[in-house]
Amino acid sequence: MRILIVEDNVALADELTADLKRAGYAVDWLADGRDALIQGAVEPYDLILLDVGLPGKSGLEILREWRATQMHCPVLILTARDHWAERIEGLKAGADDYLTKPFHPEELQLRIQALLRRVHGRVNQPQIHAGGLQLDEARQCVVNDSEHIELTAAEFSLLRYLMLHEGKIISKTQLNDHLYNGETERDSNVIEVHINHLRRKLGKDLIETKRGQGYRLQKN
Amino acid sequence: MNSIQQRLGIGLVGLLIITGLVLAQISFWLLDQGLRRYWQTHLHHEAETLLAALVRGANGVELDQQRLSASYKRPYSGAYFVVVFPEQQWRSRSSWDYHLPLPKTRGLHAGLVDGPEAEELLVYRADFRRYGNNIQIITAQDYTPILQSFHRWQWISAGIGMIALILLVLVQRYLVQRALLPLEKVRVQIAQLQQGQRSLLDQPTLDELKPLVEQINHLLHHTEDTLSRSRNALGNLGHALKTPLAILFSLANRHELNAHPELRDQFRQQLQSMQERISRELGRARLAGEVLPGAYFDCAKELPDLCSTLQQIHQRNLQLEWRAEPGMRLPWDREDILELLGNLLDNACKWAHQKVAINIVLEHAHYVITIDDDGPGIAPELREQVLTRGARLDEQIQGHGLGLGIVRDIVEHCRGKLALETSPLGGLRALILLPAIRT
Repeated sequence: MRILIVEDNVALADELTADLKRAGYAVDWLADGRDALIQGAVEPYDLILLDVGLPGKSGLEILREWRATQMHCPVLILTARDHWAERIEGLKAGADDYLTKPFHPEELQLRIQALLRRVHGRVNQPQIHAGGLQLDEARQCVVNDSEHIELTAAEFSLLRYLMLHEGKIISKTQLNDHLYNGETERDSNVIEVHINHLRRKLGKDLIETKRGQGYRLQKN
Repeated sequence: MNSIQQRLGIGLVGLLIITGLVLAQISFWLLDQGLRRYWQTHLHHEAETLLAALVRGANGVELDQQRLSASYKRPYSGAYFVVVFPEQQWRSRSSWDYHLPLPKTRGLHAGLVDGPEAEELLVYRADFRRYGNNIQIITAQDYTPILQSFHRWQWISAGIGMIALILLVLVQRYLVQRALLPLEKVRVQIAQLQQGQRSLLDQPTLDELKPLVEQINHLLHHTEDTLSRSRNALGNLGHALKTPLAILFSLANRHELNAHPELRDQFRQQLQSMQERISRELGRARLAGEVLPGAYFDCAKELPDLCSTLQQIHQRNLQLEWRAEPGMRLPWDREDILELLGNLLDNACKWAHQKVAINIVLEHAHYVITIDDDGPGIAPELREQVLTRGARLDEQIQGHGLGLGIVRDIVEHCRGKLALETSPLGGLRALILLPAIRT
């Protein structure tokens, strides 16, 4: 899952980036509204955290322009302005959720999880169920037939992406785009290595390789 | 005497009556003087005629009856004379048994002299010298018919004056009303302003009203500006305080602190209370209440947005219903009411199983707002406690009552009442009464 943080406060952005990386997300950070407008529309993000008060262009303006060009990426607004009038304005501009500062980091994690699941048409459950597995996002481990299997950070984010796209063929490019941020060197071998690790831990049949197309998590 | 109409009316009528009376008096006086002068000439002529009629006869000087006009012969005809010789007097036959008082000076006698049969006489004395004698010839003429016609004319002119006065007053009333029409329009607009049906006054056509209306509009702009500036400033302040708080929250969550759970909990607790204090005080400070007359809450426009926002926030299969009369507007600042309803609806949505309903009606000069849910509700004995919990911040239990705290602030600001009851839907009903008539 790749997340864009648009936040002009460096200290907060650092904290958010660290928190989200720990939670297994690939994170890009931008501080200027004008950069965010372009990059948010071009790069394949799974979710955008958008601050309202930004230099260059306000968060709501950016959001309106994105939505006017049929950009559907879920957007969670972060703002210090917690009044209902502003909340309504934000959601009318096309935001999917609204979180007011200051927030607890757990709250943000839960909102992000809920938002990502909703985008993939899943009901809001504490864990992701797919392919006969349950993924515990808080502890970053997977439960298979009441057996807890520990995962590395890379394996966890790969498996989460596949589980959220259960039954769909995912290309290597797509995995590269969504699992790594803009600064990481893209190397397709890495993905293959992690897929093999997952197969070793969870069973060979779980992830199917479609030659020339990509991978697919078996629907259970 | 508080109406311009009355003041102008009384002023005008008073002035007209005084001027009318003075003018009438002066014109009657002038006419009277003119007539008397005319009569003076006439009486002088009469005296000269009488003088000419004095002839030397067989028994000395006598009056030639042939030359006398007939009116001197008919008793009480209104024309009299006395010819005074040093030794004797001749009176006209018309004076009959009446003795004309003899004026002491020559010329027309000032004032009228009582004559026979209630006549009032103009008396003229001319002095001559003839046949070696000083002769005074006094002629008199009845002035009553002219006085009578004067009186008649006085009555007629008074009547005409009255009618003219009434007409004038009516015309003046009409003109004043027409002239004050723009003022009345402004008054109606100000009333609308107070009811929140408009945000500015229309520019009047009347030059005299323009400065007033411009001043009022300027004031409105100024208030609006001040409010939005202070709200912006508060927003910026909030932003400046809350972003570092968010960082601190995140820092407090660092796993390095897990080794010192006591420290971490203290840290978090203090952060929490800081956050709540800031939210509450900033929320209270930005309340507008009745500051802006043009700002109002349009139910049909705002409630659907609010409901869909809540639906999006809560992401459950909640049925949110709103009911208000078509075109209903609450005459308070839009953002205040949004804050009030948003917090109460948010609470209702948190607790509801399926249904949340908001209903706004105008009853007996009060806007009655009910927010119902079908959740577990609150036991009657605990309701008071819930309501007062947000009232004093220092007694507030951590993490609770904050939403209700700002709700209480807003309700108090609007001089309304807030109560918790049992809802017909089974859960809690928040009941708010807001007085419709502003004082």
